[in-house]
Amino acid sequence: MTEIELPLWASVPATLLLIFGGLLTVIGSLGLLRLPDFYSRMHPPTMGTTLGAGCVLIASMIVSSALMHRPVVHELLITLFVVMTAPVTAMLLIRAAIHRGRLRNRK
Amino acid sequence: MNTVFNYAVTFASLCFVLAMIFALIRLFRGPAAQDRVLALDTLYINGMLTLLMLGIRSTSTVFFDMALLIALFGFASSIALAKFLLRGEVIEP
Amino acid sequence: MLLTLIVLLPFLGSVCAALLPANARNAESWLSGVVTVACMALVASLYPQVADGEVVRAIIPWLPQYGLTFYLRMDGYAWLFAMLVSLMGALVVLYARYYMSPEDPVPRFFSFLLAFMGAMLGIVLSGNLIQLVVFWELTSLTSFMLIAYWYHRPDARRGARMAMTVTVAGGLCLLLGALMLGEIVGSYDLDEVLAAGNGIREHPWYTPVLVLVLLGALTKSAQFPFHFWLPHAMAAPTPVSAYLHSAAMVKAGVFLLARLWPVLAGTDEWFWIVCSAGASTLLLGAFCATFQRDMKGVLAYSTISHLGLITLLLGMNTPLALVAAVFHMMNHATFKASLFMATGIVDHETGTRDLKKLCGLRYRMPVTATVAIVAASAMAGVPLLNGFLSKEMFFEESIIAGSESGLRFTLPAVATLAGVFSVAYSVRFIHQVFFGPPAEDLPRRPQEPTRGMIVPSALLVAACLLVGILPSRTVGPLLETSMRSILGPDLPAYRLAVWHGFTVPFYMSLVALTGGVALYVLLCFRKKTMVPTPLLSRLDAKRAFDVINVAIVRGAGRLARFLFSRRLQTQLLLIVLLALGVAVLPFLVTEWTRGDMPLTPPDPLFALLWIVGAACAIGAALQAKFHRLAALIMLGGAGLVTCLTFAWFSAPDLALTQIAVEVVTIVLFLLGLRWLPRRLAFDTVDRQTLRARARRTRDAIIAVTSGIGIAALSFAALTRPRQSRLAAFFFDRSVEEAGGRNVVNVILVDFRGFDTLGEITVVGIVALIVYALLRRFRPAPESIGVPRAQRDDVLQGALPERLDDPLPRGYMKIPAVLLALALPLVRVCLFCLLLPGPR
Repeated sequence: MTEIELPLWASVPATLLLIFGGLLTVIGSLGLLRLPDFYSRMHPPTMGTTLGAGCVLIASMIVSSALMHRPVVHELLITLFVVMTAPVTAMLLIRAAIHRGRLRNRK
Repeated sequence: MNTVFNYAVTFASLCFVLAMIFALIRLFRGPAAQDRVLALDTLYINGMLTLLMLGIRSTSTVFFDMALLIALFGFASSIALAKFLLRGEVIEP
Repeated sequence: MLLTLIVLLPFLGSVCAALLPANARNAESWLSGVVTVACMALVASLYPQVADGEVVRAIIPWLPQYGLTFYLRMDGYAWLFAMLVSLMGALVVLYARYYMSPEDPVPRFFSFLLAFMGAMLGIVLSGNLIQLVVFWELTSLTSFMLIAYWYHRPDARRGARMAMTVTVAGGLCLLLGALMLGEIVGSYDLDEVLAAGNGIREHPWYTPVLVLVLLGALTKSAQFPFHFWLPHAMAAPTPVSAYLHSAAMVKAGVFLLARLWPVLAGTDEWFWIVCSAGASTLLLGAFCATFQRDMKGVLAYSTISHLGLITLLLGMNTPLALVAAVFHMMNHATFKASLFMATGIVDHETGTRDLKKLCGLRYRMPVTATVAIVAASAMAGVPLLNGFLSKEMFFEESIIAGSESGLRFTLPAVATLAGVFSVAYSVRFIHQVFFGPPAEDLPRRPQEPTRGMIVPSALLVAACLLVGILPSRTVGPLLETSMRSILGPDLPAYRLAVWHGFTVPFYMSLVALTGGVALYVLLCFRKKTMVPTPLLSRLDAKRAFDVINVAIVRGAGRLARFLFSRRLQTQLLLIVLLALGVAVLPFLVTEWTRGDMPLTPPDPLFALLWIVGAACAIGAALQAKFHRLAALIMLGGAGLVTCLTFAWFSAPDLALTQIAVEVVTIVLFLLGLRWLPRRLAFDTVDRQTLRARARRTRDAIIAVTSGIGIAALSFAALTRPRQSRLAAFFFDRSVEEAGGRNVVNVILVDFRGFDTLGEITVVGIVALIVYALLRRFRPAPESIGVPRAQRDDVLQGALPERLDDPLPRGYMKIPAVLLALALPLVRVCLFCLLLPGPR
């Protein structure tokens, strides 16, 4: 673990964002673990996927910009991609769940 | 301030790995296959976030590429599995 | 330079022809026509050089330090053959344009035809023995593709398989023979081999080399006992038969025999083996041809017989016989191709080739009839045609060779008998098809074909006439150039003239002509012209071939079952046991010790990560038997953790590869899971018997022992200091000698390049198979059921859509739109990541 020297304007928001993002993700996963039904389990991980990942990526952008002394924004690509594709996965999974539920009930 | 930042980084990494462990338990338990697919998707995203934490710690830019690829491929595998559950086969004639 | 162009042009044309759309008949024919005519012009332009006795060479060095060069060599003999091949190619292309029906997919045809021509030119112009064998096999391959052109017909498929098996087996023997020959001489260059004739003949390896080379040549030229593939190859379209199986491919065998004549001929073994093969084929082919019912069958057996004649001449060990053989090769190509084309015209216009049904076609197709009659007369050996000249030379040589070897009367008798049969089948061919009352019940109403179909045939027949009437002015100089190039200064004096006087060969020809006509009249009288071949029809070579094939396959299956098990679990168990055994062996001698490098302090995060990974891996193993999808998902998790581990230890390339492979594996498994039936877990008595439990315990012990063993080995290896000599070697050389900065990539691509080549080949084959399984070779929808998840669609599609349905029907628009936006982005990213490579 290398120790990084960061200026104050970068380290404070980064710290806050990291803590916030980490907490969000853990809570999301905890929800995935403990909620009773599949349809309710769909919701918590999305918190972690979008908000949590967003916070972490913003923090990473801030830190890299501070270290490279120029704005570094290519982490936005990841955020963009995850935001665009998470709904796709969710929709397909919900459909699959409904179909399978229906098939199981029919039996 | 820097030590606080480093602690924050460690804390966040711990959070993500913990999230992975929760997802793992869901992966084992999940009564239906769609629960497992959801857990796998979460696993992939959290793995990517752990990697990003590594990247912040090590100040090298190569971790970004890896994180992007994990996001891409993780999405691909989740979609393939979801389609498999939905239609019974991945590539249809 | 010109030589390489001659060989390269047909292959380029073949690639272009393959890319044209499916029904572009005109475009394809123009392209092929231009290519063939260009080759012909190039070959013709080299005549002045070759006529002076000079040998034109083209050498392209490839790996000079290993002696691998691409060596093309044209002397007079090669020139003659190259001219023949390209000229025939041009004529066949013109013929094929009008023969192929609009429904036939033409690109495949012309592309393989041009590829065949290129391969044939490669054989003829090759200056290196191994190169010759490579082109030899290429002709077998393209011939296979062309015979199986109409692959929906079972006889075409069977004929192609048979042809390929026989010719490729012969090619393998030829390769062995060429290798041995190269070893004897010390080099594979044709120049040196041709100069070392005496040394080879006296070498102790002479007989094996002779037998192997003869096997190669005789299988290709359909000689006894390997003649059976040629009649079955008649299932190919007629242009293919006209080109490959009369003029070009089957001549490759006798071409090789004549090419290696200065090296291998002159001994008794050569005489007896080659002459007996040739003589038996000559008689067998002629006999069978007299009783065939299919027009192409008659021509096929006639080709076999004429090739037997050429082989017999080649076996006679005298230079004059060699001259006669080469002369007959040219003549035979001319009249046989013309006859095949005429047969194709009859088939095209009337819809049948059955001699029993065809009759009196000369009233409706007079021009075709004339062409066919002249060509058949050349085949029979009627004077004033080229067939007569070469037959006369054959008769003369048979007398000379017979008197030298004690077969004083046998050889001429054989020759005359063959001549009799040859005249008989030619007369039968013409008489049955063109003479008699006009036919009644033909599938189509015959009429004169389009000009394009008849012109090639007519040109060839005109050549037959020309050569027959004025041989020494037309073909004389060409023949002399080619013979001089083979025999050198030992060329004997001969005279190509129509009239040699009332010599014994002349009387033999007369006897053959009259005897043949008399035989046919006799057969007609006894109404025996359409019987199955007497004595020989019971020997079905095709059936024998099939029986042998099936016996080999069954024997192999029995051996495999005896030595091995078909179940994957047993195979895996054996592999793991073997690996375990091999790994344990060193530890019988030495002891496992740990190295003395200090251990790094454990990182809690990494440990937690690996708890996830280990749990996934063990879970996958536990669930794999009954819950396959769950096991697959857990496998994905384990792969992810491995990727993260690689990233942790600063190996980004490995991490990228790992994640890509992981996801591809998941998708491939899913593709496979679709076809597997569901596995139901039953906690019945079966699983709990002592035997089952003992087996599971045994498997668990083996698995755990292997795992722990590997872990211990890795630990011992990792705790020892690295031996850095190898690393230093690669580091030093990668920038200067290989030009790359990333050492790992340089090792993969450069230092261990062959390894990577093998792996890429395997991956490519797997990709092709997956593509085929997904697109072309899916089981018919009636035979395997729709997956359970889709049966709903089938049910619901019948009902109207209701408002309170939980799900809308049809495909999902929002995900489709989102993906359409995201995927180009993904492609660009992946492309950018793929590019850097070894730099």
